[in-house]
Amino acid sequence: MEFPEHLKYTKEHEWVAVDGGRARVGITDYAQDALGDIVYVQLPEVGATVAAMAPCAEVESTKSVSDIYAPVSGTIAEVNAALNDTPEIINQEPYGLGWLFDVDVADTSELDSLLDASAYRALVESE
Amino acid sequence: MTRTTNEVAPHPWRLVDDLHVTRSGAAQMQTDLDLLDEVRAGSPAALRLYTWAAPALSIGRFQPETDVDADACARHGVEVVRRPTGGAALLHGGDLTYAVAMRVDTRTSVQASYDEIASALVAGLAVVGVKAAVARHDGPPGAVCFAGQQGADLRVGNRKVCGSAQLRRDGVVLQHGSILLRRLSIDETDLIAGSHPRDQLRQSTVTLDELGAPHDPRVVADALIVGFARALGMTYRQPLRTEGTSGTR
Repeated sequence: MEFPEHLKYTKEHEWVAVDGGRARVGITDYAQDALGDIVYVQLPEVGATVAAMAPCAEVESTKSVSDIYAPVSGTIAEVNAALNDTPEIINQEPYGLGWLFDVDVADTSELDSLLDASAYRALVESE
Repeated sequence: MTRTTNEVAPHPWRLVDDLHVTRSGAAQMQTDLDLLDEVRAGSPAALRLYTWAAPALSIGRFQPETDVDADACARHGVEVVRRPTGGAALLHGGDLTYAVAMRVDTRTSVQASYDEIASALVAGLAVVGVKAAVARHDGPPGAVCFAGQQGADLRVGNRKVCGSAQLRRDGVVLQHGSILLRRLSIDETDLIAGSHPRDQLRQSTVTLDELGAPHDPRVVADALIVGFARALGMTYRQPLRTEGTSGTR
């Protein structure tokens, strides 16, 4: 199970890669393993406004539909359109080609409330 | 991912026995969604049991509408309703449908939550003498739920007897599914464009009727009520009904 040190995390199992005022978002290795084979992803619209920890996307795996949450508030700048045809790359490369969307962050102070890698690892490994 | 949801099971559950309630297919789906929202708002876990007043075809949350032969559905008087859950098309009418809404740890895997509810369904079916087991993934999902098997489903031998699907929201899972009680005069092959041959669908599925088991909805519902309590080690907030349980086959 991978927990890359350079990423931030949410308790709902999203990862965030911060680059200036923009954040790339995906789901963690732990999450993709828990979901199983992902067969469909419903991504937000580019330009949509999202609120921190509100649902903004959905994935389907083994006939189970799960919400994906926006880690921070902002505006959707880009989505990973490749997932429309090949959602399984989330399972194969959750931290790479399987990214979900980019957010232009409205309030960078919200990034401070995200978990670092060790805190996220502790969360998923706790009983 | 072996974490289970046992921590929520011991608390008394709410039993919603809707076998006598007539609703449209759309209203059935809304009632299941309401169950999810009630648990999100703090209500105890719930088990709802219901049947369908008229045949209805439910399709998965993201299933293309083009899978459905709308003319055929209209010709057969079949309501088409979109489920809030995943998966593929399923014809209701000869089934008993269950819905469970319960809180799960966000670290609980999809399969672990299916397995926990499956243990309750298996225990319930055992009450009516049916030996069911959890199915395993047998290939890419198609347009018809009962044409394929996944870890969400139950089988008797290699034949699918129960198909289930989930919606997970805010740490609460809504899982509903259909237990095949008897055949109708039509099936999904009449209603889904380009679906499997009828013989193939029938050979890959089995009803409680065909197994020689009790298949009256009331009897099977009462068996599930008992099975859930046994398998999950829980009680219900209201007394179990005791009437209407004598053996109809």
